[in-house]
This record gives sequence, C-alpha cells and structure tokens, in this order.
Amino acid sequence: MSVLGFTEARHLVSRTGIGEEWDVINRTSKLTLDQAVTQLLKQKNQRVPAIPRFSSWKKMDLLRKNHSRKMMVRRIAKVEGKTLQTWWVKHLLTTKTPFLERMTLFWHNHFPSSVLKTNQASFLQKQNLLFRQRALGNYGVLLREVAKDPAMLLYLDGHTNTKESPNENFAREILELFTLGRGHYKHADIVAAAKAFTGWGVNSQGKFVNNITQHDNSIKTFLGQRGNFSGDHIINILLKHPRTAEVIAEKMWAEFINISRPNPRTVKRWAKIFRDSNYNTATLVRAVLTSKEFWDKRNRGALIKSPIQLAIGTLRTLPYKLPRHGIEHRLNILGQGVFKHPSVKGWAGGADWVSTQSILIRTALMQDLSGGRFSPNGRVANRLPNVSGEHLQQWLLPTKPLTHIDLTRDKQRVVRDLVLDPAYQVC
Amino acid sequence: MDRRDFIKYSSLISAAGILPEWAFAAGRPQRQDKILVLVELKGGNDGFNTLVPHHDPLYEIYRKNIALLPRQTIPLRNSGGRALAPSLKAIAPLWNNRQMAWIEGVGYPDTVLSHFRSIDIWDTASNANEVLDNGWLSRLLPKYKKGLHGIAINPGQVDLGPLDGSSLNSVTMQNPLTFLRQARYIEDVELSRQTAALAHITNKQHQLYDVSKQINERIGKRGAARNVMRHVRGEVGHSLESVAEMIINGVDSPVYKVTQSGFDTHANQLGAHNNALFQLSEGLASFAEAMKRFKMWDNVLIVTYSEFGRRAKVNKSAGTDHGTASAHMVLGGKVRGGRIYGKHPDLSKLDENGNVRHTTDFRSIYATIGKKWLGQSTPWNKFGTIPFI
Repeated sequence: MSVLGFTEARHLVSRTGIGEEWDVINRTSKLTLDQAVTQLLKQKNQRVPAIPRFSSWKKMDLLRKNHSRKMMVRRIAKVEGKTLQTWWVKHLLTTKTPFLERMTLFWHNHFPSSVLKTNQASFLQKQNLLFRQRALGNYGVLLREVAKDPAMLLYLDGHTNTKESPNENFAREILELFTLGRGHYKHADIVAAAKAFTGWGVNSQGKFVNNITQHDNSIKTFLGQRGNFSGDHIINILLKHPRTAEVIAEKMWAEFINISRPNPRTVKRWAKIFRDSNYNTATLVRAVLTSKEFWDKRNRGALIKSPIQLAIGTLRTLPYKLPRHGIEHRLNILGQGVFKHPSVKGWAGGADWVSTQSILIRTALMQDLSGGRFSPNGRVANRLPNVSGEHLQQWLLPTKPLTHIDLTRDKQRVVRDLVLDPAYQVC
Repeated sequence: MDRRDFIKYSSLISAAGILPEWAFAAGRPQRQDKILVLVELKGGNDGFNTLVPHHDPLYEIYRKNIALLPRQTIPLRNSGGRALAPSLKAIAPLWNNRQMAWIEGVGYPDTVLSHFRSIDIWDTASNANEVLDNGWLSRLLPKYKKGLHGIAINPGQVDLGPLDGSSLNSVTMQNPLTFLRQARYIEDVELSRQTAALAHITNKQHQLYDVSKQINERIGKRGAARNVMRHVRGEVGHSLESVAEMIINGVDSPVYKVTQSGFDTHANQLGAHNNALFQLSEGLASFAEAMKRFKMWDNVLIVTYSEFGRRAKVNKSAGTDHGTASAHMVLGGKVRGGRIYGKHPDLSKLDENGNVRHTTDFRSIYATIGKKWLGQSTPWNKFGTIPFI
C-alpha cells in the first residue's frame, strides 16, 4: 500500500481534525491509509485542562428550593456555563488529539444537554469526560450510561419521571433522536418507554439513583414486545433494532462525507458493520474513513466547516493571535456554543451553518484573525511554511479558489486571501 | 458560466440532495405593499396588566397589590369593560381610530414554562412536545417572494427567531448603517456548483451581497430619508426607527422583527412592567405617525408576541411567575380595529400551576397573517383564522 502524499493527507487531516496543521499533514503524508487511520483511532488521551470548580448539585438544589434565592441558580449557572465553555475551548485550541475531540463533539451533539436548561455545570463537565472516554468505544455502553447520566436526567426531565406523573421527554427523544428516528415507532411506544424509565433520578449527592418506589411495575407493550420492562430492558430492545445503527451511520455521513442526503446503500453497509461489531465505534469509523465515498474526488469540499472547525481550526493552523476576548462568544453567535445547543436536536450542521446572517460573522471573523500588520518579515510571515503560493493554496483550500488570488504576492497576503475565499469555508 | 446557465445546472444539485432556492432571478427590488412588523416582548409579557380585564372581578382579587385600578387605566370604548395599562397612553388613540385590535387568551396546549423552549415553539410554530428547525416564516416567504425575506433588528445579538432557516434570505442588524459597515467586506462571488456545500455558500453569499447592495443604494447614499421618526426613545424605539427608514426608502423586505425586553417581571413588577410598556408604546406611536406621514400606514401590519404570559395571581414578591395565555396587539391602517378578538380566559379555572387555559392558539394568528395579509396557503389552517384584517 502506497503512502498518502500531501493532497490525500490534507483531506484526511482536514476531515478528522480541527484545522489543517502543516506539520500533521506532512507527517501523515508519509503514512499509508491504514497506518494513518490506525493512528487516529489510537487517540485515547484523556488529559484535559484543570477542571474549574463548579457549584455542587447539593448547593444548587438548596437554592432552587428557597423561594427568595432561587433566582441565584440561573445567575450562577450563567457564570459557570461560561467557565465551562472556556474550559473546553481551551482544550480544543491546544489538544494534540483533535480527532478524539471531534468524536467527543460528535457525541456531545448526539446527546445534547444544554447548561441553559440544566443549570448544572458540574454535571455537564462530567458528561463531557464520559463522551471523551467512550468517544471511540462501545455505543451500546455509552447509550446506557447517558440514560443514567445526571445531566441528561435533568435535561430531558428524566428526574421528574415518576409512576404518578410520567414525563415522556426522555422516552420521546431516545426514540426519535438517539436510536430509531421518526416513523419507526408510535406514540404508544413513547408512553410505554416513559413508564419503563420511571424511578430513574438524581440523588442528593448528584449521582444516578434508581428509586424503585417511583417505578411503574405495570406490564408495558413496547415495539410489539410485552413485559414488566425497566429502562435497561427498553435500551436492550432499542439496541436490537436495525435503525439504531443506521441513525449513527447517517450521522457519520453528515460528519465525514457530504452535506447532502446519504446514499442509502452506504448507510446500510456501515450500519451492518456497526451492528456486527456490537456497536464498536472505532470499527465503524475505520469503515467510514477507508470507504470509497470518503476518498471520492466528488466529495472534496463537500462539507461545510462547523464554527469550531473554522474558528478554532484557523487558530490551530495559522500563526494568528487568539482574539483578546477569546473565541467563545463568536462560537455562540455562529451557533455552535459548546454546552449550549439550541435544542435537543443539537446543531443541525451542514447547510445550516451558513445563512446570509452567519456569512457576515464568519467573514468578519476571518477578517479579524488574518488582519493586522502586513510585513514580509513579521511574526506571521516568519511562521508560515516556506513554500510557493501554489503550495499554500493546496494546503489551505480543498478545491480551487472561487475568487481571484494572486499567488505571487507575499505569503501573509496570499494566506489572507486564501482564508477569505469561500472555498476555505468547506472541507 | 453565467447565472442563467447556472440555473439549468441547479437541477443536478437538487439530485445530489440539496434544494437550492436561487435568488438571482429576483430582479430589481420592488417596494413592498404588505409589510409585517413583528414585535417580540421578551421575557413573557403579563397580558392581564397590559389589556386589563376590569370586567372580571377575579382580576383584582388575584392581582391584589399589583392590580391596575379603573381610575388608573385607559378605558377602551366598546370593549366590554377592558382598559389599557396607563403606560400605553401614546398608542391608545389608535383604538378609537379602529387601527388597533387585541387578541385575548393567546397560547398553546401544554405550555412550556421555560423561556428558551417556549420562544422556540412560538418561533417555529411547533407543538409543545415537538422540535422544529426553522422559523415559521420559512413556510410562507420562500414561495411568497424572491430576494430578501426579512430583517431582524437586534441590538447586541443575532437572533433571527421566526426568520431563521436556510431557505430564508434574512439578516439581523443593529441598524442599517452598522450593517453596511459590517458588510463592506462581502464580495459578490460566482456561483459554484462543484458540491452542494459550495453551491449553498456561494448562493448565500450572493444573497447577502444583494441585500447589502440594496440597503446601500436605498439608505447608504445621500438623499435617503433619515431620522424619519419625530420621537425616538428606548430600545424598541430605535429599532423601529431603523425599520421606518428601510420601509420609507423602499427596501424590499416583507417582514421586520424588533424586540422590547424587560417583561420577565418576577418581582416588584409594577415599575418594571410600566417602563417596558411605556417604551413599547412610545416607539409604536412614533412609528405609526411616521408611517402615516409617508403614506405607508395602510401597508403595515404590526403584531406583538411573547414566549408566554404570566400567572393569574400575584406572587409573594409583588410580581408574577411564568404563565400561559396572554393578550396580543395588532396595529395598522388595514386592521379591523376597535375590537377584541379571541376570548378572555376563564380566571376561575386555573391549572395546578395557577395558570389559565388558553382560548386562542397562536398559530391562528400565523394562519391569518399567511392567508389574509400575504395571500398564501398556510400549514396552520386547522387553527382557523381571526378576522382582524
């Protein structure tokens, strides 16, 4: 098997990393596809920046129950939500294992639990560690853990789901978004699943608790099966359903191949690989990254960079300075504030990243980052690779530029023109 | 390849799974003769202390120390005993001119009492237990008109609300001149059909370029009508002046959205609520006056909305907590005004949270706007329409 070479290595790095770091591309270009993918799947680094101190569940719960002080919960959560964002963004800016972070983001978006609803930064921070730990692990295990995760129990009201007053929120979303998808279940299945999950909650220590006195022990009919099901039984049934793997395969297509609708045959093929591996995410990802679809020339420049890929990716790729006030606010207004999903559906991504409105902000961001003093021997120019204008273009753009770019000018200006070209917005 | 050729190729891209809405056949922007101005009352407006139901004896009993009394409020003729909060004085004459109508009891079943979620429901016209991705106007405007669909005026944030959605050509701005300053870096680009992603981006960039070009031509140049409102005060007043400028100078947006905040009145609400309503009223009165002066009042429909109303009873802090149904206002030269629509909610039947039951689904307002104002078929027929226009 031959080595990848610059262009193919660039494609792999751009699609699986955060940005297109020159050194990483050059290292990857000397590897075969198999070696390169194996290296990506070996990213297991669980080290994260020092974890800030967040208010405990116990403290927040006391405030919540105090009529005159309950407004403080929101205020504290707002401040801690910002701290939490800064914490992850710092890691995204500096991590040496960007693919692991991409997969952590993938699960963060598959299982959203916004701090705006939960008001509990400490839970979200722990959930984030869970996603990183299971990022390339077993999806079945992850699904079970998320169903018992305190942040999720708060976000989708599982902690208030009791036999006297069942709350269908989590049951609805596990069916609609986490496993089967619309059209593969009936409303009665939601009702039955909600009953099965009754009693799952959060104790005063902020840990999962199975409160059996609140559990509905009636016989439920769920997706054609009858029994006195618990939440775990429901998840077992869902993991046996072929749609569960297909939903993840569809999301893999949107994450790694093309913004347009997936090819159904490809989805079926990947879903089968996923199920046959007993939901091993690494196996599925290997299949995706070595597929002909991933390498098809027609799929180059077929994905729209997420705000994180665009903003943080640029800062990781080019010697530009981090804006004084950080980058979190820009990510928020571009629609990808971490821990602040707009809804339980998470970020829709794809074409949704780019509207007339967001182009204005995306362009202004690229202007700001690439602006400043132009000097052929300045800080920026000296840290750019010493290669021709053509080579810079091959490095930074996945396709030909759409605007006219004079590649004979000084490097700093060429690079600025390249990052302002619409082709820089895709990967 | 020129634009015309490009349209021929667009079918190829549709086959790839993305349906582009090509805007370049839009032609020269035409002055709009049906303009919708949406006014968001952020925080959840207390409808009972806005359109005061003096005819309902439970109102004063429930509201105790924050009840507005008949000697304070502005009575509305032929309204069955209702009155306006005193801070709405500036717009009160519109009632007698039959250019103001109210819709009572507006809400939806199983109201969600979270600000974020409930405004999403209003913005997308979803059911309480359903998440939709796009603003409700994305189901009316793409077939209504090409080119620009809407402008949201938002000091300090970028929330498109009902104008959100990739099928809509909408922008947010602080005001037209700030927008032009931000947009000066946006260049027109050739449309690319290399991938669906590039097609989408170049299409959107072209649309944005078109909007900024239009605003520059109509407002950025000398001779454009500026400072068109006589009194400009407060948040919504400044936003409405921007809207007035764009309407008067012929920007072809069929929808504008402005926001007045300060309605989340949990504690000591009288002063805060009074202040928010006062700003709203001053802004709207001044806007209406400008529209009349420039002969555009018949072309404008103003509708207020809010994520929810407030509890029927006052709380322990002389405020009100998140509620359900609320009253909303409709203004405009073509409004069938001087009338109350909808139905006052039954204050004697409160749910376990102390909330009233809504009488009018908010989507019947959307259906009315779609059908009667824009002349479109709408997905909200089952909620019925309201004859306020």
